[in-house]
Order: sequence, then C-alpha cells, then structure tokens
Amino acid sequence: MKILSQKLNRRFFLRLFSLSAITAILPQRVFGLSDYRRDKNIPKQYIQNRDSPGFFIRSANPFMGVNSNDWSLSIRGMVENPIVLKYEDLFGFKIVSQISRLKCVECWSASAQWEGFHFQELIKRVKPDSEAKYVYFQSADSYYESYTLEELIRPRVLMVWRMNGQPLSKDHGFPLRLIAPYKYGYKNVKYITSIEFSDSRKRNYWANHGPYSIDGTIQPGIDHPLDFNKKPLPINGGEVFHSFDERPS
Amino acid sequence: MSRFLGVVLILLIFSISCSNKEVEQLEVHVPHGITVPEDMVYIPSGKFTMGHPDKLRTKKGREVLADAFLIDRFEVTREKFKTFKLEYIFHPKKAQFPVSMVTYAEARDYCRWKGRQLPTEVQWEKAARGTDGRKWPWRNYYEHPNNGFSGFIPEAVDQRKEWISPYGIYGMGHNVWEWISDWYYYDGIPETDRNRFKVIRGGLTQTHTMVKFTPTYFRNKMEPTAYFNFIGFRCACSIKCQ
Repeated sequence: MKILSQKLNRRFFLRLFSLSAITAILPQRVFGLSDYRRDKNIPKQYIQNRDSPGFFIRSANPFMGVNSNDWSLSIRGMVENPIVLKYEDLFGFKIVSQISRLKCVECWSASAQWEGFHFQELIKRVKPDSEAKYVYFQSADSYYESYTLEELIRPRVLMVWRMNGQPLSKDHGFPLRLIAPYKYGYKNVKYITSIEFSDSRKRNYWANHGPYSIDGTIQPGIDHPLDFNKKPLPINGGEVFHSFDERPS
Repeated sequence: MSRFLGVVLILLIFSISCSNKEVEQLEVHVPHGITVPEDMVYIPSGKFTMGHPDKLRTKKGREVLADAFLIDRFEVTREKFKTFKLEYIFHPKKAQFPVSMVTYAEARDYCRWKGRQLPTEVQWEKAARGTDGRKWPWRNYYEHPNNGFSGFIPEAVDQRKEWISPYGIYGMGHNVWEWISDWYYYDGIPETDRNRFKVIRGGLTQTHTMVKFTPTYFRNKMEPTAYFNFIGFRCACSIKCQ
C-alpha cells in the first residue's frame, strides 16, 4: 500500500529498476527459490530438453514428472457435468490408435504410434454449454494451452495415454497428453491436469513467453525428420506426411 | 534536441522513400466489346514462361499459351464470402481479410455462384508473373515483415500495393494460399497420388525462423477436403463469362 501511495515519478522507477537489477544478479538460492528453468544444472531426474535419438524431448518447465497416485484430471468450466478423473478412469474410454508425426517449431519432426481416445468422449461426459467454443488446458508443469472446440473434434486429434505400445513415459507426457497432428509440437500439451471449457479464448504459454502463435497450425515449409537423418523435406502445411509415411485412409 | 529531431526526420523520410516501391506494370489494352468488372483484371492472350528449369514438378520454364481471361484483383474477402454463406461468421475488424478455413468445394461453389470458376494453374501463374518471367510478382525480393515462425499473419486483401503482380493483382506472393481448379500432377507422379490433391498457389513458405517468399512458379498441394487458416481463394473466368 505504501508503494501504491507513492508518487510514480522518475526516482521511483529508478529505485524499482535498481532493485530488479540486483535480484537478477543474485543467485536465486538467496531467496529460497528453486526455479530450474534458467538453471544450466537441472537435476538429471528432471524432465528436461534432451535430444534423444529418434524423438527429442522438450520441456518448457523442467520438473520431476507426475506420480499416477497423485494425478487427477479436472474437467470443468461451462459444462453441465464437471468431472474429476483418476488415472484408471482413462482405461474406460474407447481406445483409438494412430500413427502420426509430431512437428516441432525447431524444424524437426518424429513419428510414433499413439493410443488414446477422441476428445468427443469427454464432451459426451461433461456436456459443454452451446456457448463454450474454447478449451483451455493446464499441465502439471505449469504449462498451458488454448484451442477452439472445433479444432479438438477433428478426426486425428487424440487424448493420448499410450505411445509405441507402452504407457506414456514421463518424458512424453505421462499420464495424459494431447496429440493434434496438424499443430506444431508446442500445442501438443503434456501432463494434462485440467481442461476448462469457456466462451472466450485464453492465451497459451508460448504466446506469452515467445514468438509462437496461439493458433500454431503447421505452415507450408521445410521439415527435417529425425527418422530420415534430418534430410530436409518439403511439407505442404497442416498434418505432416513424408514419402516414407503411411497416410491414413 | 534540434539535431535529434533532424536525425529522426531524415530516418522518417528514408523509411517512407524505401516503402514506396512501385511495381512495374505491363501495359494491357482491353479489346472493344469486353467489359471488365470493377473487381476483376483482364489478362490478354499470349505466351508466357511457366515453371522453372530446375523445378522438375513445374512446367520447367517452357513457353505456354494462355487464352485471354479475367481474374479477381483481390483474394475473396470474409465479407464477400458471407454473402454466399450466410451462416459464416467473421470478426467485423477483419471483414477485408481473405476468407480462409474453406475447403476446395466451398471455394469452387462460391465462384460458380458468382458465375466464375477457380483459376487454372496456367491462368494463376500468368496473372502472377506476367510475360517477363518474374520470380516474384513484384520482380524484386524484399524481406517480409511476418517473421514469427509459427505465426501466420494474414492481412486485408488490398494492403500491399508494393507487392502487386505485373497486372495489378494483389496477394499472389503472400497472404493466403489459393485453391486452384487443377489436380496436382507432374510427370512420373505415383498412381496413388493421381487425382488426390488439388494445387494451391501463392502463399508463403516458412523455414524455421525465416520467412521466404514463394516464387511465382512454386506449386503446393492439398487434399481438397482440408481447410486451414492459410488457404483461401480467388475466382477467374473466360472473357465471355460476364
């Protein structure tokens, strides 16, 4: 309150800037924070950026990952029946399997077999209001993503809990992630903990922190697929297919 | 202070003079008896260079003869598309943006409703590059301001006079990609890909954090049922369609 009552003059801003500058150069440990996002020595057990052969791992906010016993998925907002699901509840949805490619804004792509269920399964359970045109995802690592409802009910969009015949690994989003093959990888949110229906669009993590758009639809350009020795291949835009990929019928 | 203002003024004059890039136009005489609607452009008959010798899936730089035709000066706007599809919704501030998220069939039906057709590849490429073999419609390469890698930023269809084609047509090297009436075909195309994709033309190709202009002969393809924020269309017709 004292600060608020101060006159917002040049001296005030200079003081404020000085304080910010000091906090920036002091180790974060001084303030008892453990923000590993800018730390080059992230503990090995944390999920973090790794150029693993075949499928790179990307994590905006390194963390320990999710324990299935502690995890729940809250589906709420403008819906008739808000629900909370536990890990075992995911087994009750009709399983759909598909092979699709995840294309990163960093110019690489990688393919996998994904198993999960269509977003319509959730819609049937929670019954969104007719005005609820937008969906907001939140993750266990404080990531967040935003979609229109129409984008999520497209045929190849999946809520995924298995990858290449195994439960999702921690690195790839255990216990639940989204796969929207026509969107860049950053839209394919991992470790989902809540899904909120609303009548207005919220911003996503990378629109707030970087140069990437909320929409994130894959644009026509060049891809460097990891499973093809990063040989540059043209893409048309939308879902990425290469000559060695099998297109869905 | 006056020196500072002087520098700002010089920079302002410099930036204005740099942005006033006029595109060299081809001289066209519309024959007597042909009425060109206000929203269309007349393209005279004659040969032009189509494709590029290094691009094997194009016409490889061959001379191609095109009959005279008319083509929309601008990409079809959201406002115009609504006159055809009444339930179509757009933000009022974006009425003059190109319509997008339309399938091939929707684009084709709109043009038919207007008494026109989607352009053929020959029509589109001639309208974009003229008869002097331009790589970009405006001839010279300029950097594009759309530098967000994952972001596609469309704009009003009449925004870029500095990027018009040699016939004064807007949006043939930027803004949305455009549906073309032809199936995607090239010599040696696999049997399974025949009659599978429609050609789209004239948008931007992005590579990582750079945006490169797509040359006038660049061919992209898309399944006709697809609809994306980066695909729109314009219409064309023969000189007898009016």
